[in-house]
Amino acid sequence: NAAPSRYPPPPGANTVPGFPPAPTPATSQPMAQPGAMQPPSQYGGAPPGSYGSQPYGQPHQGMYANNVNAMTQNFGQMGVQDSQRAVNLLNERQLMPPDGVETAKPILPHDFKKVNCSPDIFRCTLNAIPQTSALLSKARLPLGILIHPFRDLSQLPVIQSSVIVRCRSCRTYINPFVVFVDQRRWKCNLCFRVNDLPDEFSFDPVSKTYGDPQRRPEVKSATIEFIAPSEYMLRPPQPAVYLFLLDVSFNAVETGYLSQFCQILLDELDKLPGDARTTVGFVCYDRALYYFNLAEGLSQPQMLCVPDLEEPFLPCPDNLLVNLHESKELITELLNQLPTIFEGNLETGSALGAALLSAHKMMSSTGGRVTVMQTCLPTVGPGALQNRDSGNTSGKNVTNIGPATDFYKKLSLDCSAQQIAVDLFMLNGQYADIATLSCISKYSAGCIYHFPSFHTVKNPSQVDKFENDLRRYLTRKIGFESVMRIRCTRGLSIHTFHGNFFVRSTDLLSLPNINPDAGFGMQMSIEDNLNESPTVSFQAALLYTSSKGERRIRVHTLCVPVTNQIGEVFATADQQAVAALLAKMAVDRSLNSAISDARDAMINAPVDTLSAYAQQVPASQRVGALLAPHSLRLLPMYMLAMLKSIAFSLSSSTKTDDRVFAMQQCKVQPLCYLMQSLYPHLYPLHRISSETPLKRGKEEIPATPQLQLSSANIDRTGLFLMDTGDAMYLLVGSGVGDQMCQDVFEKPNFMSIPDGMIDLPELENPTSEMIRCFVNFLIDSRPNGITFLVIRDDSKHRHLFFQHMLEDRTENSMSYYEFLQFLQGKAKG
Amino acid sequence: MATYQEFIQQNEDRDGIRFSWNVWPSSRLEATRMVVPLGAIFTPLKERPDLPPIQYDPVLCTRPTCRAILNPFCQIDYRAKMWTCNFCYQRNPFPPQYSAISEQHQPAEIIPQFSTLEYTITRATCHPPIFLLVVDTCFPEDEDLQGLKESLQMSLSLLPPNALIGLITYGKMVQVHELGSEGVSKSYVFRGTKELNAKQIQEMLGIGKNAQSNPQQQQRGGAQGQQQQQFQLPSNRFLQPVHKCDMSLTDLLGELQRDPWPVAQGKRPLRSVGAALSIAVGLLECTFPNTGARIMLFMGGPCTQGPGMVVDDELKHPIRSHHDIEKDSCKYMKKAMKHYEALGNRAANNGHVIDIYSCALDQTGLHEMKFCPKYTGGHMVMGDSFNTSLFKQTFQRVFSRDQKGEFKMGFGATLEIKTSRELKVSGAIGPCVSLGVKGPSVSDTEIGLGGTCQWKMCGLYPNSSLAICFEVVNQHNAPIPQGGRGYIQFITQYQHSSGERRVRVTTVARSWADASANIHHVSAGFDQEAAAVQMARIAVYRAETDDGPDVLRWLDRMLIRLCQKFGDYHKDDPTSFRYSENFSLYPQFMFHLRRSQFLQVFNNSPDETSYYRHMLNVEDLTQSLIMIQPILYAYSFHGPPEPVLLDSSSMQADRILLMDTFFHILIYHGETIAQWKAQGYQDLPEYENLKQLLQAPLDDAQEILQTRFPMPRYIVTEAGASQARFLLSKVNPSQTHNNMYGFGGQDGSVPVLTDDVSLQVFMEHLKKLAVSSSS
Ligand SMILES: [Zn+2]
Ligand SMILES: [Zn+2]
Repeated sequence: NAAPSRYPPPPGANTVPGFPPAPTPATSQPMAQPGAMQPPSQYGGAPPGSYGSQPYGQPHQGMYANNVNAMTQNFGQMGVQDSQRAVNLLNERQLMPPDGVETAKPILPHDFKKVNCSPDIFRCTLNAIPQTSALLSKARLPLGILIHPFRDLSQLPVIQSSVIVRCRSCRTYINPFVVFVDQRRWKCNLCFRVNDLPDEFSFDPVSKTYGDPQRRPEVKSATIEFIAPSEYMLRPPQPAVYLFLLDVSFNAVETGYLSQFCQILLDELDKLPGDARTTVGFVCYDRALYYFNLAEGLSQPQMLCVPDLEEPFLPCPDNLLVNLHESKELITELLNQLPTIFEGNLETGSALGAALLSAHKMMSSTGGRVTVMQTCLPTVGPGALQNRDSGNTSGKNVTNIGPATDFYKKLSLDCSAQQIAVDLFMLNGQYADIATLSCISKYSAGCIYHFPSFHTVKNPSQVDKFENDLRRYLTRKIGFESVMRIRCTRGLSIHTFHGNFFVRSTDLLSLPNINPDAGFGMQMSIEDNLNESPTVSFQAALLYTSSKGERRIRVHTLCVPVTNQIGEVFATADQQAVAALLAKMAVDRSLNSAISDARDAMINAPVDTLSAYAQQVPASQRVGALLAPHSLRLLPMYMLAMLKSIAFSLSSSTKTDDRVFAMQQCKVQPLCYLMQSLYPHLYPLHRISSETPLKRGKEEIPATPQLQLSSANIDRTGLFLMDTGDAMYLLVGSGVGDQMCQDVFEKPNFMSIPDGMIDLPELENPTSEMIRCFVNFLIDSRPNGITFLVIRDDSKHRHLFFQHMLEDRTENSMSYYEFLQFLQGKAKG
Repeated sequence: MATYQEFIQQNEDRDGIRFSWNVWPSSRLEATRMVVPLGAIFTPLKERPDLPPIQYDPVLCTRPTCRAILNPFCQIDYRAKMWTCNFCYQRNPFPPQYSAISEQHQPAEIIPQFSTLEYTITRATCHPPIFLLVVDTCFPEDEDLQGLKESLQMSLSLLPPNALIGLITYGKMVQVHELGSEGVSKSYVFRGTKELNAKQIQEMLGIGKNAQSNPQQQQRGGAQGQQQQQFQLPSNRFLQPVHKCDMSLTDLLGELQRDPWPVAQGKRPLRSVGAALSIAVGLLECTFPNTGARIMLFMGGPCTQGPGMVVDDELKHPIRSHHDIEKDSCKYMKKAMKHYEALGNRAANNGHVIDIYSCALDQTGLHEMKFCPKYTGGHMVMGDSFNTSLFKQTFQRVFSRDQKGEFKMGFGATLEIKTSRELKVSGAIGPCVSLGVKGPSVSDTEIGLGGTCQWKMCGLYPNSSLAICFEVVNQHNAPIPQGGRGYIQFITQYQHSSGERRVRVTTVARSWADASANIHHVSAGFDQEAAAVQMARIAVYRAETDDGPDVLRWLDRMLIRLCQKFGDYHKDDPTSFRYSENFSLYPQFMFHLRRSQFLQVFNNSPDETSYYRHMLNVEDLTQSLIMIQPILYAYSFHGPPEPVLLDSSSMQADRILLMDTFFHILIYHGETIAQWKAQGYQDLPEYENLKQLLQAPLDDAQEILQTRFPMPRYIVTEAGASQARFLLSKVNPSQTHNNMYGFGGQDGSVPVLTDDVSLQVFMEHLKKLAVSSSS
C-alpha cells in the first residue's frame, strides 16, 4: 500500500515491479521446446563473489545436461574422462550418443553456471576463451557466438522499473556476472568500470527497506526483459502494421496458393499479434498492381488497379492500410473474394519490384511487416529480372548465387531505414532468382520461406507445411522497430555478423522486425590479452516495440571463462557451434569468392584443427590415428555433411534456387535447426519403446535412439524416420512384417502400403500410438511446419530418404571413412 | 411572286439554309465586289418531322468525279428511264428498281418539295451510342459533388438501355472504373501527371484485340439483307450496356467521394483534367473507333497538373486573364492548348464527341480546352456550380428527345458539298473539322476550314449550323444564259441516335444574275440576317486564329464598303445616304457585333470569351442573331408587349423589360413598377392588372428558359439594382453623360454611364465615310 508512485502497476500479468517474487510466464509461447530453457527456478540463492577461488577446467559431472533435444537421461553414465580424451576417428565409428549430440557449456563456478544464459539462446564456439589471440590461432578454431535472441520462452522475467541500471561507461546492462564491490557499487564485467548503484535499485517498495541488490531479477537472470521508459523511444511506439503482397499472376493462381492463403489468414485474423491499433493492407500484383481501399464504411472493398509501373505511385493517400478491427468486415469480404477475383487470370508478368516500392511508400510513416507471396521470376517493371539460370550448374563453376541487380538490396536498405521488414514466401516451381530476391529480406531483417514447386494439387505434401508455416508465421510473436546491440568484454571484438539485418554501427544491428525464429552469428577476434578477469561476458540487448505497442528491451548475457591452456580450449570447444559458424563463413566465402573455395575451407578447417590438436597429444598416440578431442569428434562428420549439402555440393542436380535458399538458411537458422538440417536425425521407429522415455512435463514420450546417417544402420525389416527439420521421411523396409504394416498403416502387408502417404492413420494399438506420439512430439517441438512422406523401399522417391545418408559413399562423393582418410592424408601434408 | 422575305423563310424551313445572297452574281469579278461573300448558314439536321422515311439508298450520278445524288433539279427522261445530273450533265440510267418510274409515279427524291430528303441506309450495322462520363472529384464542398452525382444518376434513366456507358473519375489521379463487377468494385488508377497514348492505355487496361470492335469491317462484310441489324457493340469491362450496369453504376456514383488527397492551405487541389480526358479519348480510340460516342467531361475547376494544366496549384498565382494573354505571359497556356487541340483532333478522327460541363466560380480553362468541343461538335456548358438548376436542367436537356422519342443528337457525321461548275466552296466555319478531301468543287481561296469539300461533325444536333462560304469562279467572259441556275448539294451522312446510318441530302438552286448590268437583282436577294451571322462567324474565326484587334477594323472596312456599294447617296453628302429595306438592319447588327462579348474581350475572362464564341459558332441563325443583337421586349399598361429598341431610351420607369441575350434572360422593372411592387399593390384585388403585368414577362421568360440549351442565366432586377448592369451593358448608350441635358434625363429614361459611342454616333460616322469620295 505504500508503494511509491514511480512503480506503476504492471500493464500485464507478466510484469514484475521492483523486487519480483517469481518470474512469470511470457506472453506467447506456442511452440517453445519444453525443457529447452534452463529451469527458471534456479534464479538467485548462491552467495556472490566466491567464484575467483575455484580453478577452471575441471570436468564437472553432468556438464552435458540439457541438450537441445532434452534427451537428458543417462548422461551421468558418460565417462568423466570423455571430454578430456582423444578420439581416434578412424577407429571409433560410433560417435553419436543414442539420445543425440551433447550440448557443450562453459564450465563456470556453480553460482555463475546456474544463472548463465541458456545455450539455446546464446552459444560460444569455445567454452573456454583463449587468453590471447596467439593461443586462439594455435588452436586453429573459429571464435564466435551464435544467438537466437527472440526465441519463444516459456519463462521470462519482465521488469517495469523507473531505473534501468547500466554501466555509465559502456552502457552494459547490469547482469548476473557483474561484481558488487559493496552494497552500493558494482563493477562492470565488460569494461570493468565501477558504477554507483542507484538507491531505487536495492530499495524494496514492499518492505520499504534497502535490501541486497543481488535479489534483483537483473542480477539473478541472464535473460531478462525490461519495459522501456520513454527515453528508449525515438517516436511513440507504432502500431503493428501488416502488409501482404500477393502474386496473382497466372502462375500464382495456378498453384492454388491464393485460396489457401486467404483461408488461413481468415482463420488467423484475430490472432495476428497486435492491439486495437493493428493495421493491415493488401496489394496484389501481376503485370499491374492492385490496391485495396478498405475504408471503414464502404459497402464493399474497392480494388484500385495501377497498371503503369514506370514510377510506382499510390492510388490514394489513405485507407490502403486500415485498422484491422474497424474494417474487419471489408477485410473478411476481400479475403473471401480474392481467389475469385483473380480466377483464370491469364497475365503472366510479375511486377514484384513495383509492388515492393509501393509497399515501401505505404509503410514509410509507420514501419511494419511486409509479407510477400511470390511464385515466379519478376519480369516486369522496376526490379524486373532475366532468367539467367541455364539449368545446368554442374562442375566447379557454380554461378548465379549472388544477386543479379542491387535493386532489391537498395530497396531493402530503404525499407530498413523506415523500420520496414520484408518477408518472402517463395512458392516457385521455375527458377525465380532467390539469390537476387532474397536481398529484399536480408537487409531489412526479414525472413524467407521456400516451398519449391508448391502446388495444392500436384504437390500435396507441401500443403500442410505451407499451412503450418503460415499459421505459425502469422501468429508468432513479433517485435518492431528493433535494434540489437552486442557487447563483449574489453579485449574482444566482433568483426563479422551473420544473419538478416543492416549493420548500423560496429556493434548495432538494425532489425525493423525481429521474429522468434531468427538466428544470428558473430565472428570475433581477440584484440587484447584477456587477463583482467577470469571470465568474459557477451551481452545482447534487443530493443523492440511489442505488437501491443510497448517498448521493450530483452537482454541476454553469456559468461565464458578465459583460459591460457590450449588443452582446455580443445576440451571445451562446442563442435556444433563451430560447425554452424563455419557454415555461415562458408556462405560468405562462396558469395565473395567461390563455392570451391568454401569447400576447400571445409576440408582445411578439420585438418588444421585436428593437426593442431595432435600437437598436444603424445606422439605415440598419433601414429596411424586421426585424433580429435572428444568435444570435436563430430567436426569432420559435420564438414562432410556440409560438403554434401545442397548449399555447397557441386552436384549438377542442385537447382540454383534450392542452393541459394539453403545458403540463406545457413545464415539465419538458429543453431539447433541448422545442425539438424545439415545432419538430420535418424530414428529406427520399429525399435520404439516406452522403456527409456523422453519426459515432457509430466508426460512421458516413448522414444527410440538416434542413429548415425549410414546405410549400415538401415535394415529391410524396419521403419526408419529421417527428420531433416523441414521434412520427415518415413522409410518402410521391404521386409517389414505384416503385423507392423497392419499396426502402423492399417495395411495387410508391405505391398499394399500406398507410396506417397502424407499422414499416419490414427490406429488404436500400442505400436501406432507410440510411433505417432513420438513423431508428433518431434513435430510439435519445432516452430516450423514439415512435409511428411511415407516412402516405400521400392519407391521412386527413395532418394529423398537416402540422399541424407551422409556417411555413405556415392558416385560423386566420399564416404565418411574415405573422407577421414583423405583428411589424414591432408594433415600429414 | 412572294416577297424575298417569304422566299427566304420558305427555303429555311425546307432546307435549313439561309444564303447571304439569294441571287448569285454570275462572274467572279462581280462576286468579289459584293463585299459580303456569297455564303450560307446551313443547319444540316434541321428538325423535319414531316420528312417521309426513305428506306433505300440514294441514287448516285455515275460519273466517278461527281457522284451527286439524284434530286428534284435533275432532268428526267421518263421514257428512256434516264436522268441528267444537274451538276455535271451526265446522263444516268435509273437503277432497275426504278423501272416503274413515270411522270405520274415519281420517287420522292425528284419531287420538288423534297429538295431535302433523308435516306436510311439499311445495309449498315446499327450501333447504340456510347457515353463515357469523365467526372471531377475535386470539390471544396460536398454539395457540388452531390449535385453532380444526382444529375449523373438521373441521366442513366434517360439513356437508351442498350447504349454503352463508362465512368472515369479524376482528381490527383485518374480512375477508370470497371462496371458490372460484383463484390469488389474495381478501377484502374493512372497518375494524373502522365500522358499515355492509346496503345499504352489499351495495354494497361488489358483490353485485348478481341474486345476491339471494327464496325467498318462489319459493315462491309455485313449481310445484304434489307433489315438493319440491331447490333449490340462488344462491351468490355469499362463500357457496359446501360441496362446491365445501371444499378451498380448508380451505387458507384453514390459512393463517389471527394478526392482523398489532402490540399494544403493556399493551394488548389491537384486536378488532372488533361490526363483524364486523354485517357478517355484513348479508351474510346482503342475500343470503338468510328462509332458514335460522347465523352462527357465534368469539371469543377482548372487542370492544375500534368498534361493540359492551365494553372499551377499555388492559389497566389491567379489563372491567366486576357491581359496576361496579350502580354504573352501565360506560363502554361500554349502547351495546354496544344494538348487539348491534339485531343480534339484525335477524338474527331475517331468520330467521338467531347462535351465540357464546367461549373466553377473561377475560370477552369475553357479557353485552352475549347478545341475539344469545337472540333468534335461537343457541348460547352459553363456554370457556377453543379448544384444549381442551371446545370441540372441544362444537363437534362442533353438527353432531350424529339417527337418520335428519339434523341436529338447525331453522331459521326460527314458533310459533303457538291457545287455547280460555276461555284466552288471556300470553307466552313462551325463545329467541324476538315476531312481534307480535294475535289472539283474545292476553291483555292480559303475562308474558315477550306481546301476540302468534306467536313466531319462528330456531334450534330438539330440546331448545329455551319457557315459555308462559296466562291464564284465563272469568268466574266463566259456569260451564263438568262434564267440559268447554280446548284449546291449538301450530303450529310451520320449515325442517328437510334443507331441507324442515315444520309440527308439537301439540294438548292439559285438564279444567276449579271451584277454589272443588274445590280439591283442581286442586291434585292441580300439576306441581311444571314449576312450578319456569316460575317460574325468569319470575324470570330479571324479573331481566334490570327489578327485579334484588326478584326474590328476589318469589320468596319467591310461595312463601309458595303454601304458604298449598295447605298444610295450623293458623293460627300452624308445626309443624302439611303439604303434599301433589306440592308436597313445590317449596320445595326454590325454595331452590336463590334461591341459584343464576341469581339470585345476585356470585360470578360478568356473562358467566358471562349464560351460565348463557342455558342456563336454552333447555333442556328435565329439564336445567333439574338447573341449578336439581344432582343428587348417592353411590358406596360400602354398596350400589349412589344419589341423595343435595344437602347437606353427603352428603359422607362413605367415599363417592365424582358431582355434575351441568349446567355441571359433578364427581367427589368422600371423605377415606378419597382416601387409599386415594393409596396405590394399587386396583391390588392383592385390592382389585378399590375399582378398580370408583372406576371406576363415571367411567363414569357419561362418559355425561353424551358427550351433553350444551355439554359440561360435568369435575372430579375429593377432600376438601380446592381444586376441591372447586365441590361445596361447591352443597350445602345443613346443617352450617356456625354449627351445628357439634365440629370436623370428628360423623358424619365435612364442614362448609361459609358464612353462607348452610341448607335447614332456610329451611324453618322458610317454615312460620312461611305459617301466620302476619298475613301
Ligand atoms: Zn562497462
Ligand atoms: Zn454528276
